[in-house]
Amino acid sequence: MPEIKTYTEPELIRGLVQHDNAAYEYLYMNYRGSLYNIILQLIPNKEIASDVLQEVFITVWQQIEKYDENKGRLFTWLVRLTRNTAINKLRSKVYKSESKNESLDNYVVAIETNNPDIENINRIGLRKQVHQLKEDYKNVIELSFYNGFTQEEIANSLNIPLGTVKTRLRSALIELRKQFV
Amino acid sequence: MDIKQYISSGIIETYVMGLCTAAEEKELELLRSQYPELNKAISACEEEMEQHMLRQTTLPSADTDKRILDTLTTLKKPASIVQMPLRKRNWLKNIAVAASVLLLISTGFNYYLYRQVKKSGSAGSNTSLPLSDYKVLLDPSITPVAMYGVGSHAICRCTMFWDKKTGKMYIMIHHLPQSSAAKDYQLWAIVDGKYINAGLVKDEIRGKFIEMSNIPPGATAFTVTLEKAGGNSAPTIEETYLKGVI
Repeated sequence: MPEIKTYTEPELIRGLVQHDNAAYEYLYMNYRGSLYNIILQLIPNKEIASDVLQEVFITVWQQIEKYDENKGRLFTWLVRLTRNTAINKLRSKVYKSESKNESLDNYVVAIETNNPDIENINRIGLRKQVHQLKEDYKNVIELSFYNGFTQEEIANSLNIPLGTVKTRLRSALIELRKQFV
Repeated sequence: MDIKQYISSGIIETYVMGLCTAAEEKELELLRSQYPELNKAISACEEEMEQHMLRQTTLPSADTDKRILDTLTTLKKPASIVQMPLRKRNWLKNIAVAASVLLLISTGFNYYLYRQVKKSGSAGSNTSLPLSDYKVLLDPSITPVAMYGVGSHAICRCTMFWDKKTGKMYIMIHHLPQSSAAKDYQLWAIVDGKYINAGLVKDEIRGKFIEMSNIPPGATAFTVTLEKAGGNSAPTIEETYLKGVI
């Protein structure tokens, strides 16, 4: 493998926009670990998760022009893209047929298995911290961040006012952030 | 507006995690241009999240690394085509950019359907959407440009959607024979009587709405020709499959 050059964020973004291969290699090598970790929090099957990881980087290649530096950092954009790609996969028919035996219909997915190809999603990364929050907070983050439901959809499914969902989600995320430091 | 209270309300965390409603996002983006302290607080939250998530890593297998890196080096610059997924259902989170592009595409599609329905007097078998949708999604700024098959390719069809406001152009292939591995379809824009390369039309875009990103300004007509793989610098006129005039 050729030597990998290091980039500042603006240099990296420029390289990505120019579709410079070295910039994409750097992006992949630097962010694959955290993005793959996020995917595994949603999709425990490593084979499917690595397909999603590939899809994420191809999407970056195809849609980098849509990234707007004024709206946020590159990593924030990558996390959104990764989460959306994983949620799309979770909801796809193909995924549902590939993972029939992994009760994903319910949002609380608890996979008790010793299979090394399957990660226990509740014990990885951020999701592990989410599961340490109190029940109300945990549920609202589970439904929104990990299952892609809108605040309105959560209000409807839990039969609580939208205002309550907002307050709960905001408080939950403030609590979660305390664990970032 | 008590900006301090707003900053500490949890809205920033919700925004950074991508969980805002469209209205919340719009409000925050408006406010951040007025309050530098809000902007600073957003950046701080983003950095914290980034630092935290970068510490939590799981490495893919070496095989996956190789496969993805190999794939990335073989990708061609998407100067010609940016592939967009079809908007299917509303459960996707509202990422402003993606949503607005998808809405445009969907609007274009519905306008096209509307025109088709108007023309034929009834909804076609696989394009039947509730009639009420057509009115809602009718966007006067989008002009569909029908492209018809030329000569022996009379059966071929595609529609381009031209957004006069943004200048963006989308394409949808309805019928075009599969190209062989050694050939690619290429889109040409005609500007002042000259053919300008407007990108490749790959087989995999069939049935999808695709934004064509390098349409030159001033185009008055479009053609699609069959060229050698990767495209040509000038069109092979006798291999013209589709033609359409704005």
